[in-house]
Amino acid sequence: MWPQPEDMSDVLLKVEGIRKSFPGVLALDNVSFELRRGEVHALVGENGAGKSTLMKILSGVIKPDRGTIVYKGEPVVFHSAVEAQAAGISIIFQELNLIPHLTVAQNIFVGREPLTLWRTLDEKKMKTDAQAILSLLNLKISPSAEVRHLPISEQQMVEIAKVLSQKSEVLIMDEPTSALTESEITELFKVIHTLRDHGVGIIYISHRLEELKHIVDRLSIFRDGQYISTNPYGAVSLKDVVNAMVGRKLEMQFPPRNNVPTTEVLLEVNHLAAGTRVKDVSFKLYRGEILGFAGLMGSGRSEVARAVFGADPKDKGEIRLLGNLIHTRSPSDAIRQGIAYLPENRKQDGLAVLMGMSENLTMANIPAISKKLGILSPADEKAAAVQYTESLQIKTPRYDQKVNNLSGGNQQKVVVGKWLFNQSKILIFDEPTRGIDVGAKYAVYQLMERLAREGVGIIMISSELPEILGMSDRVIVLHEGRLAATLNTPETDQEQILSFAAGVGQPQQPGRST
Amino acid sequence: MSGRRISLDKVFTFGAVVILFAVFSVTATNFFTVRNLLTMALQTSTITMMGIGVTYVIITAGIDLSIGSVIALTGTLAVMAANVGCPTWLAMTVGLVTGIACGLGNGLLVTHLRLPPFIATLGTMMIFRGVVLTITNANSNPAPDEFGNLGNLTLFKVADAEGTTVFPGISYIVLIMIAMALIFHFLLKKTRIGRYIYSIGSNEEAARLSGIKVSQAKLVAYVVSGFLSAVVGVLLASRMVTSQPNGGIGYELNAIAASVIGGTSLMGGIGTVGGAVVGSFIIGILNTGLTMQGASYFAQQIVIGCVVIGAVAIDQLRNRRS
Repeated sequence: MWPQPEDMSDVLLKVEGIRKSFPGVLALDNVSFELRRGEVHALVGENGAGKSTLMKILSGVIKPDRGTIVYKGEPVVFHSAVEAQAAGISIIFQELNLIPHLTVAQNIFVGREPLTLWRTLDEKKMKTDAQAILSLLNLKISPSAEVRHLPISEQQMVEIAKVLSQKSEVLIMDEPTSALTESEITELFKVIHTLRDHGVGIIYISHRLEELKHIVDRLSIFRDGQYISTNPYGAVSLKDVVNAMVGRKLEMQFPPRNNVPTTEVLLEVNHLAAGTRVKDVSFKLYRGEILGFAGLMGSGRSEVARAVFGADPKDKGEIRLLGNLIHTRSPSDAIRQGIAYLPENRKQDGLAVLMGMSENLTMANIPAISKKLGILSPADEKAAAVQYTESLQIKTPRYDQKVNNLSGGNQQKVVVGKWLFNQSKILIFDEPTRGIDVGAKYAVYQLMERLAREGVGIIMISSELPEILGMSDRVIVLHEGRLAATLNTPETDQEQILSFAAGVGQPQQPGRST
Repeated sequence: MSGRRISLDKVFTFGAVVILFAVFSVTATNFFTVRNLLTMALQTSTITMMGIGVTYVIITAGIDLSIGSVIALTGTLAVMAANVGCPTWLAMTVGLVTGIACGLGNGLLVTHLRLPPFIATLGTMMIFRGVVLTITNANSNPAPDEFGNLGNLTLFKVADAEGTTVFPGISYIVLIMIAMALIFHFLLKKTRIGRYIYSIGSNEEAARLSGIKVSQAKLVAYVVSGFLSAVVGVLLASRMVTSQPNGGIGYELNAIAASVIGGTSLMGGIGTVGGAVVGSFIIGILNTGLTMQGASYFAQQIVIGCVVIGAVAIDQLRNRRS
């Protein structure tokens, strides 16, 4: 399917002296970069480092102000993404671009459908060709399955298959693992290895430095629109990479932990069952502790939280707040009891991005900024915005700034601020650091630690085990909607958590000595 | 809502009103006269009120197609009530309560049966129209004279010593429109329920997870639309001093046009009462001005259609650039 590489080290794509400015911002300044045939080349840097801009230039979405792109030895200028794709450069964005109601085969060939002699769709050929590509990637996905029924991970594989069917020689992947579980990531890496062995050059963008060791050959670091360095993977330590990315010494990934879990039970959940995902889950949350929720995707982590919060209906089980039985039939019930839920998908579920920052900050507690008869008080709203912008160090030019125009880290702070303004006693963070950069992650961790220290109970749902181990006091591990283990964080490690998550660990309940 | 963009929108649309005004004042004799301006305000007031109501619904990312039918139903019921001996105030209240009930019905279909707003109000559009045609057998009936006072009398009428009218006065309909615009502007911008309506239109799931009672806020939006349709229905019946079971057909489309010209987004989350007022006046000025220049009703339709498309196209282009 691909031309066999003659020399694995020959340069496939080379950019030199690229410069791109947007009004008020120099996004890329004199950037150079090269990609060889059959290598996986990681691109790392904080948000705003210029990675996305460079990718958009390579894939023909935008044009550079200056600089040259040499592709397979020839200087090229792409005027559109279609041109770049025709030449063999494809990009898979974070948000997948599949059509949910079409089948896998129809999606792979969308826009390029093979036709019969009668100029009608040749569904048969589509299916066999799709099957050929899927087998090449060792995927067990049916070409006639409708895409909307597939899990995210398989949808991503379909996207890769689609790109391959276009005979791409350069594949750009933007945060491909952000929505995948550990086992799905392993599958993805196998596919990436297959591609590499066929001579495809892969540019791999990720915030998860840990995972790079499994696949990356070389690594280039960007900071503030500038190219910093390229090294073979392993030639520099991960710590040095992070320091180079942030441009300052980042001593630790996680802040020092001074919160002291108390013995006071804030929240007690007994034998909760909800929908098809949550079958039997019990746990306790103590005042001042950070409780990690671990488990594979589909284990019911988020669903437990949503049921407790009243966002989804419950079938069975009881919830006690400070010992008293409570009923959370809707989010507004839970909020009245001081429970807050920060959804995993901020933009989709957590924020009204077209509204202002102050309007979002006060959204969960509008009564607090209104006077008699439900009339709003702009002065109270402004005061709340000022208070939380300062205490959470939200970087914004104006209090009524549209949330859409804030960075990911600042958006997360707005969501947190929303719940602090509501005086929540229990905060449930669902994937609190997904898609935000290293520096901002640290700030979110600091915030969580501070809240726990001030007596809030925190539940942190996370797919990233280092985050679970680094930030939680205890961990509960879920497996297929049931509690698999409750572990004290200092006494456990990644392997143990993973084995419980995969359903192979011995059930045990060390719990807390109270 | 936030930012300079919105205020820029206002400058644009308001500028359009001023320019239209200037153009017609120069090209059409008798356009810029007190009498004509008052007539124009009177004719536009009904579109304005419907436009405000439907703006509430559109901000929640919904739509209300039943407005024209609600106008016919409420006006007719008010006239019938007056004809069976109810005093005028009570007869008109019957109309208004009916409008609120119609809005509540629309809202419940959307929130509790979870019907798409387009389908729910398409259905009630037919049902309400069917009801009013059935109970009247499609006949118009005259109302008592007193019932016509509100729609035909004016305030501040000035006449000289010989009884010649110097200033014809401002119609009660226009005054009611101004009052409605102020009240519903206040409700949308300055109160909790208004904030809820914007929030659910901007991101319904985020609003729900923030504890906002989404169904309640949507119900309010549909009730506002039903109520304002009823106000228009009762006022039109009063002005004609008859019931009009066949009246109001297609009025909802004028209302939606006014709202959209005024910057309301059909995707929800964006829109203002002021925008609906300005949008309706753009339509009103075009109608009057073109009529005075001798353009046919048919040609006016073409112009207004172009304005709707143009207004939204400009908005899209500017969004793409930013």
